[in-house]
Order: sequence, then structure tokens, then C-alpha cells
Amino acid sequence: MSEWTGILELDMENRQGKTVAKNVYFQGAFKVMRPVYLNNYSYPCYYLLNPGGGYLDGDTYRMKVSLDEQAQLTLTTQSATKVYKTPKTQVYQETEFFLKKDSYLEYLPDALIAYKDAKYFQKNVVHMEKGATLLYSDIVTPGWSPEGSKFSYDMIRLKTEIYMDHKLVVFDHIKLQPEMQQINDLGFMEGYTHLGSLIVVSEKTNDRLLDRLYETIHNEVGEFSFGLSNLAIPGFTIRIIANTTQVIEQVITACHHVISEEWYQKKPSFLRKY
Amino acid sequence: MTDNALSLFQLCDSNFPTGSFSHSFGLETYIQNDIVHNQETFSEWLKVYLHEQLAYADGLAARLIYQALEENDTEKIWELDRILTVQNLARESRDGTQRIGDRFLNISESIYEIPMLTNYRNQLRKKFAFGHPAIVFTMVGHHLQVPKETTILFYLYSTIASLVQNAVRAIPLGQTAGQKVIYTFQKELRQATDKIMHLDESEFGVVSPGLELSQMQHERVNIRIFSS
Repeated sequence: MSEWTGILELDMENRQGKTVAKNVYFQGAFKVMRPVYLNNYSYPCYYLLNPGGGYLDGDTYRMKVSLDEQAQLTLTTQSATKVYKTPKTQVYQETEFFLKKDSYLEYLPDALIAYKDAKYFQKNVVHMEKGATLLYSDIVTPGWSPEGSKFSYDMIRLKTEIYMDHKLVVFDHIKLQPEMQQINDLGFMEGYTHLGSLIVVSEKTNDRLLDRLYETIHNEVGEFSFGLSNLAIPGFTIRIIANTTQVIEQVITACHHVISEEWYQKKPSFLRKY
Repeated sequence: MTDNALSLFQLCDSNFPTGSFSHSFGLETYIQNDIVHNQETFSEWLKVYLHEQLAYADGLAARLIYQALEENDTEKIWELDRILTVQNLARESRDGTQRIGDRFLNISESIYEIPMLTNYRNQLRKKFAFGHPAIVFTMVGHHLQVPKETTILFYLYSTIASLVQNAVRAIPLGQTAGQKVIYTFQKELRQATDKIMHLDESEFGVVSPGLELSQMQHERVNIRIFSS
């Protein structure tokens, strides 16, 4: 019996132009559904799910996803990640991605909903080889409480480390601790409630793409504020603050479309869930 | 105050030519959006910047670097140089800090003969390191045998003092108002230093979303007098 609440391993390879799983393993409260080849793509989309419906006090989850050379994968969740109250021990989720040369991973999970008094720590570590492409997004909501008050969770900590050929190239660390911070105010959420991030690493990044993304986001309707900037390596980060998950999803989807069109001359699939 | 602390004090002068006068680290975005427009709103921004970004990045790094210097662990210093640079997700702030670090190193090298500074310069030349003012400052502080806590406090002071000078020009504020902010920030600087001394290393690089967003947005603000 493993000490983890849930474990998931997924190894993908490119077999004659089609990406297939060479190893799928899960145990405990972590599962993937059957792969779906949306739009007749040569690569699958896997939906992650948490059979228990949410994370409980002290839960620990570990996910490891490897992509061989030229393998491609879309990974998402079936629904929002819920973290229930954690009176004793924080919930911990650790994810490791291994992306070989010329592989492509888009990991676009649903929003995170931390309940009243919940503590959640998420650590993502990505090991990439030069030539690999990563699209990673996350959305943090102000959570849920029986009284309907926002930001009633205890703490959300999201740490992301990206290594390119074994060197640290991106480090992102968000810690939201509403009781200790003036969360609504200047410097924090600036009066907004939801926070979204999109991190993209790819050799194909250039200023023209960034300009186009900027224009695209700028023309999106809805109340939000955003920032867009180049990383220290070819790639960029987009941060969005808004008042609903939908607005952030809409912005991320719009960016996803631009990227897919610019780099692969195709439309990304609509990740049907409901 | 010891003569050594006095030497370190020279590095805190907002006229010390590191180029920090051309960087606002997102403050200009707030000024353009009319969110920061007087002494009070500027102090509010400065507090958040000090406690929620500077402390977790430069401040904690200064403490860890001082310790690495005591233990002669140069690998740790290069590791911190890298993480300090790549955690800065806003390009202008990242590049600007790197330039300030480079100039800070130049001037410090011309004043002091510290082997570690030469070592750092060689790492930069070979592109093994990026360059960061907090690292140079700590190297000088350690060399002068100024205690760790004082070195951190002085570094934070130097950063705050130059940001105040920038605010005086950009908002604009009166020189007296600027000096008042620096005076009232003594308490904040002590508090931040105290927090840094007790932070766990795993807290490194925490950034508050709004500050970072403003630093990214600065790339596209209309009228700019600062490069970040």
C-alpha cells in the first residue's frame, strides 16, 4: 500500500505518427478516463478525475507524466478541483512532467476551488529537453464557504519549476493567505477575485505572436486585467485577474486558439466536459 | 556605527550610480492608472512591494547568500543567482535587475578588491550567472564583516530609498514628502528584516499577483519615464 492518497502515471510515445500510451497506471483516489482522440487528431486527450469528488484533510496526490520524442498530449480535468476544509494537515499535490525533444504537452486543468479553512499546496516540476513545447494553465477561484463569503480558505500555495536541459529556467510561486494579506487590495488581487495563469515554453515564440496575443486578449469582452511577458527562455507568461472562472477560461481559450493557429495551423479542440 | 558599516552605507546612497533611477518595478503602471498619486497611496504600494515581493526574493536571497559566503558554498550562490533571475516573470523587471546588478558589480569591483566579486564577474562573463544587485551588496557586506541582519536591512533601505527618489520625480511628490516616507519606513524595514531572518527557504520567490501584473503591464503603458 502506497503512502499516497492517489498516484497516477502516464507515459506516452509516438508510434508511426500517432501518440499512444505505453504505460498508464493509477492507484487510489486518482484516475484517468479512456483517451479521446478529438477531431481525429493524431494524439489523445486524457481527462483526470478524482473519484472522491474532492481532496480531503491530509490527502497527498502524485502524478507523473512522460512524453517521448514527438509524442503529443492534451491533459485536463473532468471538473474543478475541490479542496475541502483541512483542519489538521494541508492537501499536497505533486506533479512531474518529463518532456523529451519535440514533444508537445498541453495541461489545462479546470479551476481550483478551496473550501473554507482549506490549505492546499501544489508543486509542479517540468523537465524539458530543448525543442519540447509546454502549455500550462491554472485558475484559482476565491473558494467556497457555507456563508457565501469569498477567500475563506486558509492558504493556497502553487509552486511551478521548469527545467530546460536540467537548468532551472522558470520559477513561479504564488501564495494566497487571505487572513494574513489584504487580498482585495492594491498589489494583491486589485479588487478582483479570480486569478489565472498561462505559461508557454516553446522555441517558436516570437514578438509577433506576443503582439497578436496581446491584441486578442485586449479585444476580449468582460471585466478583467492581464499582463503578458517573455520568459528568460523562448516562451511567455500570461496572468489574468477577473471576477469569474468563465472570463479567465475565455481568455485562455482565445490564446490557445491563436497559438494553435500560428504554430500548427489548426484549431484546438473544445474540451467537452458537461 | 563601525567604519565598515559606514562603507556599506555608501552603497545605499540613492545617487550610487547603478542605474536604479530608471526602474520603477511596476510603480509607473500604478501611477499611469492613477492608483498611486500621492504620498499616502505611494506608501501603500511601497509597503506591499517591500513585504510581499522584495522580502521573499532579494531579502531572503541576501540572507541565504550571506550564509553561503560564510560556508564558502559558491555553488549555492550561483544557484540563487539563477533562481532570483528566473522567478522574475516580468521581462522588464528581470532585465532591469540584471543590468543594475552588472553596474553594481562594476562599481564595487573598482572600489574593493574582493576575490568573490571577481569570481562573480567571471561567472557573468562566461554567462554562467545573470547578475543581481542583492548578491553584489551581500558580497560587499560580508567582506566588510557587517553582520548579516544589518546587511539585509541596508540592502532593503537602499532599494526603498531609490524607489522613493523615483516616486518623487514621477508622481511627483515634494522632496520633503519623500524624506518623510523614508523616515516612516524605518519601522517597515525592521519588520521586513525580522521576517526575512525567520523565513523558511521554501518561502522563496513568493510574489503577489497584482504587483507582478503591473510589472508585466508596464511593457505596454503609453507614456514611460522608466524602463520597468
